[in-house]
Amino acid sequence: MSAIELRGVTKSWPGTVAVDNVSFNVEEGSFVVLLGPSGCGKSTTLRMIAGLEDVSEGAVFINGEDMTSATPAERRVSMVFQSYAIFPHLNVRENILFGLKVRKVQAAEQEERLAHVANLVGLTDLLDRRPAQLSGGQRQRVALARAIIAENPICLMDEPLSNLDAKLRHEMRVELRALQRRLGMTVVYVTHDQTEAMSMADQVILMHAGRIEQVGTPDDLYDRPATTFTASFIGTPPMNLITLASGRSGAVIAGTNRAVIAGKDGEGRILGIRPEHIGIELAGKTGRRTKAKIKGIPARVTSCDYLGADTVVTATCGDQLVLIRAPGRCPLEEGELIGLAWSNEDVHVFSAETNQLMPEAKALRVAA
Amino acid sequence: MIGRFRRVTKGLALSLFMMFAYAQSAVAVELTMYYPVAVGGPLTKVVDGMVAEFMKANPDIKVKAIYAGNYNDARIKALAALKSGQPAQLSVMFSIDIYELIEQDAIVPFDDIVETPEEKAWLNSFYPALMGNGRTGGKTWGIPFQRSTIVMYYNKDAFKEAGLDPNKPPATWDELVSMGKKLVKKTGDKVDRWAIMIPSTGYPYWMFGALTMENDQVLMNSDGNKTFFNATPTVSALEFWQELGDKHGIMPKGTIEWGTLRKNFLEGRTAIMWHSTGNLTVVKKKAKFDFGVAMLPANKRRGTPTGGGNFYIFKKTKPEERKAAMKLIRFLTEPKRAAEWSIKTGYIGTSPAAYKTPELEKYVADFPPAAVARDQLEFATPELSTYQAGRVRKLLDDAIQSTLTGKKPAKDSLGSAQTQSERLLKRYQ
Amino acid sequence: MSSAHTTRNQVYGWLLLTPAAILLITFTHYPAIATLAQSFFSTGTVSRPSKFIGLDNYRSMLEDEVFWKVLENNIWYAVGTIPISIAIALLMAVWVNGKLPLRGLVRMSYFTPTILPMIAVANIWLFFYTPEIGLLDQVGALFGFASHNWLGDTDTVLGCIIAIAIWKEAGFFMIFYLAALQTLPPELEEAAKLEGASRWTFFRRVTFPLLMPTTLFVLINAVINSFKLVDQLFILTKGGPDNASSLLLYYIYEAAFSFFDQNYASTLTVVLLLMLAVIAIGQFVILDKRIHYR
Repeated sequence: MSAIELRGVTKSWPGTVAVDNVSFNVEEGSFVVLLGPSGCGKSTTLRMIAGLEDVSEGAVFINGEDMTSATPAERRVSMVFQSYAIFPHLNVRENILFGLKVRKVQAAEQEERLAHVANLVGLTDLLDRRPAQLSGGQRQRVALARAIIAENPICLMDEPLSNLDAKLRHEMRVELRALQRRLGMTVVYVTHDQTEAMSMADQVILMHAGRIEQVGTPDDLYDRPATTFTASFIGTPPMNLITLASGRSGAVIAGTNRAVIAGKDGEGRILGIRPEHIGIELAGKTGRRTKAKIKGIPARVTSCDYLGADTVVTATCGDQLVLIRAPGRCPLEEGELIGLAWSNEDVHVFSAETNQLMPEAKALRVAA
Repeated sequence: MIGRFRRVTKGLALSLFMMFAYAQSAVAVELTMYYPVAVGGPLTKVVDGMVAEFMKANPDIKVKAIYAGNYNDARIKALAALKSGQPAQLSVMFSIDIYELIEQDAIVPFDDIVETPEEKAWLNSFYPALMGNGRTGGKTWGIPFQRSTIVMYYNKDAFKEAGLDPNKPPATWDELVSMGKKLVKKTGDKVDRWAIMIPSTGYPYWMFGALTMENDQVLMNSDGNKTFFNATPTVSALEFWQELGDKHGIMPKGTIEWGTLRKNFLEGRTAIMWHSTGNLTVVKKKAKFDFGVAMLPANKRRGTPTGGGNFYIFKKTKPEERKAAMKLIRFLTEPKRAAEWSIKTGYIGTSPAAYKTPELEKYVADFPPAAVARDQLEFATPELSTYQAGRVRKLLDDAIQSTLTGKKPAKDSLGSAQTQSERLLKRYQ
Repeated sequence: MSSAHTTRNQVYGWLLLTPAAILLITFTHYPAIATLAQSFFSTGTVSRPSKFIGLDNYRSMLEDEVFWKVLENNIWYAVGTIPISIAIALLMAVWVNGKLPLRGLVRMSYFTPTILPMIAVANIWLFFYTPEIGLLDQVGALFGFASHNWLGDTDTVLGCIIAIAIWKEAGFFMIFYLAALQTLPPELEEAAKLEGASRWTFFRRVTFPLLMPTTLFVLINAVINSFKLVDQLFILTKGGPDNASSLLLYYIYEAAFSFFDQNYASTLTVVLLLMLAVIAIGQFVILDKRIHYR
């Protein structure tokens, strides 16, 4: 039995469809991330699970029960909001205990649970502070504590880390994931940040324009993107999507003549290759390099962005722009001629028409 | 083309110059006059019309007539304008403001302005009863203009319905009570029509002046420094007023609103109302039933206070302004105009000569109620007017209202009003 | 060099302040001080010029029965108008803040009494209260109630005046509450909903405390208005019958313009100002501690 199941859920307002026929399962105890650019319907989907938005069509099941028209309270889910939704006039203790007081939990039990949760999220010393006296990270913890203390098996999180600075965000990611595992919570987590999705999720549901684009583990999404959208959304920098043309001996990169896919038509196909999977072949250490001398597919460097651990090289290859991620500092100059090489298994071919992966198309090995 | 343009501009300049020159010579004196309206109807139009007529007849005098609200407002506005240095040469104000205005040193007596024997005679051309509130210390300070008395309006249809003779309105207090009991119409406990309403907000002391006079008692002496609030006839007059509601049940209990009373009468909610003659023309226009107007009923005698506004001339005026003001006042109080004013409003024609004009003679012949106010002048008495008038008036008003609302018996409320007014007036004796 | 610079800056500062200061002194400070000074003098007439009489005006004020009566009336007026108009304002604000068909129209109709001039309002209400022919009595008659002389009865007249003030003010205060409600993030209500809080619980525990700064503002306004809003008396009752509906400010008007006793009016004004100052300071000091400002 899934903790949460959506069956053909649609949310529409007059004139717009925010969420279009979305179905997925969330297994108990798993950490599922709803990922997508802003406006893709991920937050609306989460709010429909919480009961904060009505479902236009379809059904929402929570622990096997149809909760489509249940009130938020009946669904027994917790939620962490992007703005934290902390009550500004209540101190930390009152904020955390708000729900227990509403449900008239006994005072002794309230104290016990408060001590436990405060310890868990590291707020024990701050219980008497007002929200205005807390840092962003501390407020985030209050919101988290309020969600945890309810002891609901399901916790929904709507971009909970997006208001934090980069360093804190990283720390909280680790902590949040550890907490989820320790408490065995089922978490549905909305974010537009692929790093959060890749680092935390058991399963990622990638959404685009109100529909599900792809569902899978982070590895699936990275290694086996089903569409050009997935390919271009996951990874930094994202996968190169190179338009192919037909050449004499097979498909070629438009504007070059060396075949990259043997015996196949290039028209209507897109070649996908991640920047980190492209090797740079240099013709030699000295002497003037010419197209004839270099190995691989010739390309010309337009810029190099040194990032510390690696360098992102931008090069033109035929008509196409290609990004290459090279380890360390890469001693290339603008205008320099280089050769590009990659392994067959790293190449993905998509249809330019449907933007879907074409699994039958086998890429030609391009190497030194 | 250019020549024509020149001619046009030349002509334009010339005519502008002439207009300017004309204006210079024409408006020798400018007068500002405030005037109040205390009753309904389009009285401002009548005043403006008469003032326009005056300016046509006297092109060298320009008059700015400013409507200034009710009597209280008019006094406040005129005095405030004077204090702030804005010129006002004359105003129509409450006849009873006389002592206050003298004390403020705001007005001049007309005796100081009149010169010719003809003008002096003019001062004596008005009904003496109307001069009561305009004279003190042997001098004339106010000239009667929009003057009224209280009259009794009654609904003849209601009288017929109650089996009474519609041409015999109550002439005494006893008749008022006995007829009143027949005039009250009820369904169950609910009163559909009261017999009588005497207004007790706005100017309660004025209505009370009528009741006390009918009991043969005045409220103050002619020097304005003594009141007779606790005299036995005064107390019994208030008791009678209160008993109309409390004992006889022919008038609503509590106070009766001055402002909405006319509507009550016109809608047939009361068979009789006591009100200013200034309402006569409006009632005549709006009443959907046959109505009559009668003098107020007598107890020991008939009686009513006069009321309304007089002309005053302010002290801060130049001699030529005073002359112009005199001219305007004489124009507006001329018998012919007094007659016109009376016909258009219902106020009293201020001089016997007004009632001898063909217009008013004809009007009275066609509409006898118009003469009631005049005929009643014979029994009239000055309106309550003393030094410290505002306070003294309020003392009496409060006393009347506290008795009518059943808070204090007449003897107590009037007794304490008298004690306090004596304290206020001591220094003027 | 630097001290010359400072001096010049100070001169600039004072020059910038001057226009506002002149206006403030001419129209606020000078009249207030003049009023205070006048209250120590007698009212002058031609025969007896004004002279210094110390606290005599205050002494006669304490002996003035009407003063005590209007003060008592004013307290009842405040007690009657303030809590009810605020409560109604809050209720209306919460109501029109929600999803509602024709919301704009409802908001506007609640606000209308505020924009009508009080004199016009009083004229309308005069015909509501008029016995027999007034709306109140005519509606009452449908249900078989006997006619009542609302404004002519010392027991009901103040209540009638209070009702008008509430009707006039509630819409005005509603606007402030509505503005404050719109700044509350909707997530707060959603978070509370998820915890199972009822609308009432949420209102009591969250909305109302968060509106406290607005409530303080409205409260101070309401208190000041309860001393200031007397226009309706001019049309409806002139303070009567027997001062049953007279209020302090109206009495000041009477003293100044009906009795021509400027100095007694000044005395009453000083007392009114003192009372208002004490109330306002008290409200700030007591309530400020208990209010959460965002």
